[in-house]
Amino acid sequence: MPTDPGDRLQRDLSVGTAWLVVLATIARADEPIHGYEIARQLAEQAPEGLSFKQGTLYPMLRSMESDGLVRSTLVPSNEGPARKCFTLTAEGRRVLAAWCETWRTTSKWVNRTLGGIDGIR
Amino acid sequence: MASAEPPVIPGPIRAYLLQLELELERADPALRHDALLDAEGHLRAAVRAGVDAERAIAEYGRPAEIATAYLAAEGASAASGRPVSASAWRGEPGTALAGTGSGSHRSSVPGGVEAAPAVPAPWRVRDIPVLGIWADARAWGALVYFGAVGFALSVAYFVWAIVIGSLSIGLATVIVGVPLFIFLLGSARALCLFEGKVVEVFLGVRMPRRVQPVEGADTVGFWQRIWCWLKDVRSWLSLGYLLGNFPVAVVLFAVTVTVAAASAVLIGVPLLEVLGVHALHLDLDDADDVTVSYLGRELTPDADGVVRLPPSLIVLSFAVGVAVATAGLWLMRGLGWVYGNVVQAIQVARPRATVPPRG
Repeated sequence: MPTDPGDRLQRDLSVGTAWLVVLATIARADEPIHGYEIARQLAEQAPEGLSFKQGTLYPMLRSMESDGLVRSTLVPSNEGPARKCFTLTAEGRRVLAAWCETWRTTSKWVNRTLGGIDGIR
Repeated sequence: MASAEPPVIPGPIRAYLLQLELELERADPALRHDALLDAEGHLRAAVRAGVDAERAIAEYGRPAEIATAYLAAEGASAASGRPVSASAWRGEPGTALAGTGSGSHRSSVPGGVEAAPAVPAPWRVRDIPVLGIWADARAWGALVYFGAVGFALSVAYFVWAIVIGSLSIGLATVIVGVPLFIFLLGSARALCLFEGKVVEVFLGVRMPRRVQPVEGADTVGFWQRIWCWLKDVRSWLSLGYLLGNFPVAVVLFAVTVTVAAASAVLIGVPLLEVLGVHALHLDLDDADDVTVSYLGRELTPDADGVVRLPPSLIVLSFAVGVAVATAGLWLMRGLGWVYGNVVQAIQVARPRATVPPRG
């Protein structure tokens, strides 16, 4: 399906940033964090107009776990099934640090490049 | 005593889970099982946090979108041999943070991101018709599993179930027998989970990443929890597996060892013959009247008792050996698939009707 060229940047950025922000959310948590809490924090911090389907977070977490970036544990819950909670592995921390550096470098370069065209409409 | 009533899943969530199950009807049962558990856990958490069930469902995503995200992640993972990267956050509400394929899988998530164009898969040895089975890790895994690991484990499981089961029956007249039986049931569940991991490694059949908990078992008292366990079909299936798997494993072990030994002899003897090592040797005082039948040919040993294969028989033996080994590997792969799916079915069995509507 052809996509609107206007959406292309947002789409391409999303591909790269989704893993980054999810890893960062897990890293910021003081204790193992479950999927709902990750989704809640991401939704809370998302800029206006940017939303996502929370259910798609879980296949991503699964892939991260297979990649060795996060580790999951089942934490008993007072109600309902035990919750699956996530923490970063050492590899996850290393990858997150590398990605943060990449993000900072890239955003600095993009900001510098965009500096003179703020008025374009 | 704690309340015996487990928390009830709100109707809309139950309906949503049913729809998601339908969307994943043709997916791998273990994947479907995982997706349903993820959804149930998330939606329960949202409702607990005070979010309205309908809103929680809307935020979670339409069943078709979520199913596609799981299938895309799984498909790309299978195609590339590693998990896929995630994709889309879009500027408009109601889009997907979907795992899309890096391989040939194409996402159809509305508003989601189309996967990269299909890349032709590289040629692999295992793509060769018939003989490609020699490069199939699943066939070799099944050979090792049925010929060694699985057999040894099945003996251990069987001995465990028989010893503890007999003790519990013997001690049933005194109180000790009952907790012992419950212990056996619990250990059967744990052993079956372990077996699932072993089967996944050797037979390549995906097992669920999570186990469906007994609904409400965390909130009820000790005795209700035991009762939940006793009512859980997985407990009995697991116990049945420990007992019933033993004769099956014996038969599979016999078949595996027979095929492997026959192949090894038929391939090994002619190879050794070519290298000048005579594997067929009779240590008899009087070998004059003795003949050896090999692949239908009568061979007479020489004065030293050595049986030499004629060139035609060397070629024939090698060819038959390769054919038997190839057929054996296909057989192992097929048996591995069936066996793995039986174990998977036990793992994804529902303890109670968590998804189907209740009342």
